[in-house]
Amino acid sequence: MGSGKVTEALRAAPAPEGRHSEGRGAQGRGRVGRSRQMLRYAVRRLAYSVPVVLVASFVFFWAVRSTFDPLTKLRQARDPGVLARESARLGLERPVLEQYGLWMKAFVTGDWGVSTRTGDRAQAMIGSALGTTLQLVGWAVLFAVVVALAIGTYSAARQYSAGDHLLTGLSYLGVAMPAFWLGLLLIQVFAIWPREQFGLEQPPLYFVGLHSPGMSGVNADYFRHLVLPVMTLTVGLIASWSRFSRASMLEALNSDYVKTARAKGVPPRRIFLRHALRNSLAPFVTVVAADTALLIGGLVVTEQIFAISGMGRLFLDSLLAGDVYVLLPWMLIVALAMVLFNLAADLGYALLDPRVTLR
Amino acid sequence: MAMGQHENGRTRTLVGTRRATAAAALSVGAVLAGCTSSGVGQAGATQNPVVPVKEGGSLVIGAEQEPDCADWISVCSGSIWGDYLMRTTTIPKVFDTRRSGDAWVPVASPLMADEPTTTTSGPQRITYRISPDAVWSDGEPITSADLKYTALQIRDGKDVLDKTGYDKISKIETPDAKTAVVTLRETYGGWRTLFSSIYGVLPEHLLKGKNRNAIMKDGYSFSGGPWKIQSWKKGTSVTLIPNARYWGPKPKLDKVTFQFTTDTAAAFQAFKSGQLDALFPTPQLDVVEQLNQTAGGTRRQIDAETGNLEAIWMNNEKFPFDSVDVRRAVAYAIDRTAIVKKLYGSLGVGKPAQSFLTPVLSSYAGTDFSHYTRDLKAVDKAMRGDGWAKGSDGIWAKGGRRAEFTIVSLAGNKRRELTEQILQTQLEQAGFRMTIKNTTPANLFGKQAPAGTFQMGLWTLIDTFPDPTQSNSFSSTSIPTEANGRSGLNFVRARIDGLDPLLATVDRETDPRKRVKASRQADKIIADQVPAIPISTVPNILLWNDRVGGPLSNNPSEGPWWNLAKWGVAK
Repeated sequence: MGSGKVTEALRAAPAPEGRHSEGRGAQGRGRVGRSRQMLRYAVRRLAYSVPVVLVASFVFFWAVRSTFDPLTKLRQARDPGVLARESARLGLERPVLEQYGLWMKAFVTGDWGVSTRTGDRAQAMIGSALGTTLQLVGWAVLFAVVVALAIGTYSAARQYSAGDHLLTGLSYLGVAMPAFWLGLLLIQVFAIWPREQFGLEQPPLYFVGLHSPGMSGVNADYFRHLVLPVMTLTVGLIASWSRFSRASMLEALNSDYVKTARAKGVPPRRIFLRHALRNSLAPFVTVVAADTALLIGGLVVTEQIFAISGMGRLFLDSLLAGDVYVLLPWMLIVALAMVLFNLAADLGYALLDPRVTLR
Repeated sequence: MAMGQHENGRTRTLVGTRRATAAAALSVGAVLAGCTSSGVGQAGATQNPVVPVKEGGSLVIGAEQEPDCADWISVCSGSIWGDYLMRTTTIPKVFDTRRSGDAWVPVASPLMADEPTTTTSGPQRITYRISPDAVWSDGEPITSADLKYTALQIRDGKDVLDKTGYDKISKIETPDAKTAVVTLRETYGGWRTLFSSIYGVLPEHLLKGKNRNAIMKDGYSFSGGPWKIQSWKKGTSVTLIPNARYWGPKPKLDKVTFQFTTDTAAAFQAFKSGQLDALFPTPQLDVVEQLNQTAGGTRRQIDAETGNLEAIWMNNEKFPFDSVDVRRAVAYAIDRTAIVKKLYGSLGVGKPAQSFLTPVLSSYAGTDFSHYTRDLKAVDKAMRGDGWAKGSDGIWAKGGRRAEFTIVSLAGNKRRELTEQILQTQLEQAGFRMTIKNTTPANLFGKQAPAGTFQMGLWTLIDTFPDPTQSNSFSSTSIPTEANGRSGLNFVRARIDGLDPLLATVDRETDPRKRVKASRQADKIIADQVPAIPISTVPNILLWNDRVGGPLSNNPSEGPWWNLAKWGVAK
C-alpha cells in the first residue's frame, strides 16, 4: 500500500520522444488503450487491496477488542442484567473471529454500530468528522502544492543561489516545527498580537472551530477561521514537499532529454515548463497523495488546538473513552483512504509520465 | 446521590462522573449550620462583586469538554459537563444546592410550592408539592405526572445511569396535578437526591410512550428551566436561549454559546483574544502558567471549596497493600502538604484533605487523616512491626519480596504526572520503590480498576450533591465482582471490620444527627485502616473578561453556570 510498493508496479517504457512521431489517430487509439489499461489496473489494484484491508481490519478489530471493553460505559449502571443483555446483543461471548465476521458483515451493509460514548451512529459521526477534516486537508493540500511547487522550481532553477539557500534553511525550520507549537505561535502572531496592538474588538483571524457561533457556510467568517489551521498544516507540508519538488526538478533538469532539447535549441522556458516540470511532477504527485492519505487520520494535534471536530479529534475522544464501535470503522475508513490515495498516486504517475505502463 | 464518584481525570467523564452511589438523606448541613433551608441564602459560592448588566446581548463561553449525550437518564450522560451546560439550565429539579453558612445544603427549588416532607416512621413517604406557576416551555403545567414518569423511567428502565434511591420506590401516587407522594420500600437517607442530584424532572406529556433517548440525547426542545437549548452542534458548540415561559427570573442575555475548546492552551488564547468571554478550566499545571499570563481586564475566582478530591488508591487485596501496616507506612512516608503546595500553591491552595468527604460534604467529615504527616520514624515502626527489614539498597523487603509497586493514573495528565514524580521521590526516601505506568481513562476505569489489576492508583473522587455516599468507595458490598458485572466502585477492595454497618447507617438513616455521627465514626475507621489516602481537593477556577457582568460565582455542586440567568453583558 505504501508508495514504495506502488512504484514497484510501474515499468518504464521507451523514451517519450517516440510518442511524438505518432499520428493523431494513433494518439487517439493510444489514449483509449491507455485509459483501458489504467481502468484495468485500478480495478485489479482495488481487488488486490481487499485482502489487505481485510487482514488490516481483523488486526484492528483484534487489537481494539482486546484493549477496550465495549461495555465500559454500561458498567456505570451497575445492573448485571443490562450488561448480560448488551453482551448477548453484541455477541461478546463468541470467539473473536466470529465477532469480527458479524461486525464486518454489518459494516459492509452500512451498519457501523452505535457509539458507546454518545449513542450516535458511528456512520454519522465519522461522516461528519471526515467532511470537516477533508475541508482542512483539501485547502491545505491545494495551497501547499502550489507553494511547494513554486519554491521547489525556483530553488532548482536558482540552485545554490542566496534565495535557494534561504528557502532551504526555511524548509528545514518548517519541517522541524511541531504542529502544536506552530499552531499556538500562529495564533499569537496573527490573532492575539494584532488585537492587542491595534486595540481591535475581535482578532483579525479566528481560531476556535470553523465558524463563529450562529454562522455557517462558506463565507468570510469561514475563511477567517480557516486560515490559521490551514497555515499550521501547510508549513510542514510546504517544507517537505518543496524539498522533494526541488530534487525532482533538479533530476529532470540534468536528464539526457533536457540536455538534448537544449542542444536542439529549444527555448529555455519551454524546456523548463514542458519537459522538466512535467516530468518532475510524477514523483511529486506520489508523495503528495501518500502524505494526503496520512493527513486524513493524522490531524489530531491541529484539530485539538483549533477546536475542529474532525477525524483526529474523533479518534482521540473515542480512544480515550474506549469507544470500540467508532474506533473500528474509523480505522477502516483511514485504511481505505490510504489504499485509494495510493492508487490515485499510481494513476497520477502514469498519467503524467507516458513511459510508465501499469501492470 | 451523585457522590463518591471516581472520574477519569481531565475530562471528568467515564466512570460514574454524574453517578450517585449509595445515598443518604441530607438536610444535615442546615442542621449543622444552625439554620433551616428556608433561611439559606441564595449565594452559590464565594461571592464576587456584582457587576450591573444590561438586558440583551450574547456571550461565548469556553467548555473544555463536550457532553456525550443529553438523555440525563441514560448511561451516555455520564459527563459532568452535560450537567453544567444543559441539565442545570433547562431541567427543573426538586432541590438546588446552596450555601448555608459554611455548609452546602439542598434547598427546595423554585419548582416546589414548599419544601418536600418525609415521614419518619412506618414506610417512608415523601410528599412533593409543585409550584402552581411551574410550566414547561410549551406552556403545559409541570405536574405530579411528570415526577411519576421520571421516577418510573429510572426505576424500570434498562439503560439507566444510576437507580440508587429510585430502586427503593414501591409506589407513586398523584392525588392531584400538583402533588406527588412517593412511598419507599425501605428508609432512604438520601431521599433529597430523588429528582434532584443527577436527574431532575422530565415532561411526561412529551415523552411518555415515545423513545426518550432518541428525543433527548442530541439536545431537546423542551425546558423547565430558565434556558432552552437552541442548538447543539456536535463537536462545536451548544447554544442556549431564554425560556420565555420560565416562571422565575428571566435570563438577561439573549443567547449564550458554549464553545468546545478542549485544548487548554488554545482555550486561554481564545479567551485572551476575546473569542471566549469566560472559561472554567481544570487546574492543570499549564493552567497556572496561563493564569499568570492573562492580562488586565480578566477576572477570576479560584475556589478550593469543591467537590473534587484527588487521592491515592491502594488495592487492599494486592501485595504489598494487603497489609494495613504497609498502608499506614505509606501514609506516613508521604508529605501531602508539600505535594499540595507544589500543585496548587500558586493558586493559594496549600492544605491537604483530611477526609474522603469533600468540602461539599464538610458537615459529615472528620479530620482523622491529619495525623498522617511525613514521619520516617513512624514508617520504620510500622514496617518493622509488620516484619519488614530494609535491604542494602534501602528498600523494604519481607519474605524475599521487596516493597515495590506500580502506580497508575491517566497518561498525559501533567498534574498527575508531577504528583507521581513527587510521590516516587518521597516513597523512595522512605524505602518504597514505585514505578509509574499510566494509561487511558478507558483502560484504567474500564478494565484495571474494576478488575482490581492495579496496585496503586491516582485519581479523583467527585461529589456532586451534598449527600454523603462513602459506601460507594469503601463498603465491601461495593467491591466490583463477577456477580455484579464488575460494576461496584470500591476499586480498592476495602473490607474493613465495623465499617459497613456505619456506612449503611449513613445511607439509610433519615435523622441528620445520627447520619453525621455515623459518618464521622466511619471516617475515623477509614483513617485508621488507610484503604486509600486523600491528597487534596482540586480547586475550581472561573475566569471571565470585563464584558461579563452579574453575580458570578462557582457552585461546587451545580457548576459555574448555576446562576447563568443572572449573567449579562456588563453595563
